[in-house]
Amino acid sequence: MDGLELICFKIISFSGSARSNFVEAMKAAKSGDFQEARRLITEGDEIYHEGHKVHSDLLQQVASGNYNDVTLLLAHAEDQLMSAEVIRIMAEEILSLHKELNDLKFGEISEEKSNS
Amino acid sequence: MEVTIMINILLICSEGMSTSLLAKKMSEAAQEKNIEVNIWAVSGTAAADNVNKADVIILGPQVRYMLSKISQLVTDKNKPVYVADMRHYGTVNGKALLEEALRRLGK
Repeated sequence: MDGLELICFKIISFSGSARSNFVEAMKAAKSGDFQEARRLITEGDEIYHEGHKVHSDLLQQVASGNYNDVTLLLAHAEDQLMSAEVIRIMAEEILSLHKELNDLKFGEISEEKSNS
Repeated sequence: MEVTIMINILLICSEGMSTSLLAKKMSEAAQEKNIEVNIWAVSGTAAADNVNKADVIILGPQVRYMLSKISQLVTDKNKPVYVADMRHYGTVNGKALLEEALRRLGK
């Protein structure tokens, strides 16, 4: 098997898994399970990191003159890596938003309204 | 007389592309076991048109979040629909992936 293909698959698998974690974190936040949402994001970060390591190794190889051609599969792997990062950023924001919504719906109103 | 069974395996990933090498590796592993398989890959959006043609449906880790949505599309509820192991998928371990599929099919 071509070395580059295997590298691409590793990147796709790790960053894709991380991506799924971040999407599922948003769904958990939507259901009000914030602990699970946080757990999924933290786990996703670890998985993403593994994919990023593979990518860093690839960059070093390219710097040494190997793997000069950009294949469609490599483009797809890069896309998975980048989109995982975007979804991670969004997941954090969505988690905050759902928390605020949750507090508004079910929590206590912290501000005290003064009657004047 | 040996009866050969044909197993239809559907791979689902985000573009239907990353699984082409995987399909090849799983076919090779099947050949070694003298099993006939028909393996093809589609993107998540094409799942509806394909799931009911397969005996087993395997999702890549990158579409894991679509598992419940895709499971709902499968009319036969006994059909295995699951997410491939992240490491088996990442190392394109056709043998391990095929064995998992066979295990879930009860073979």
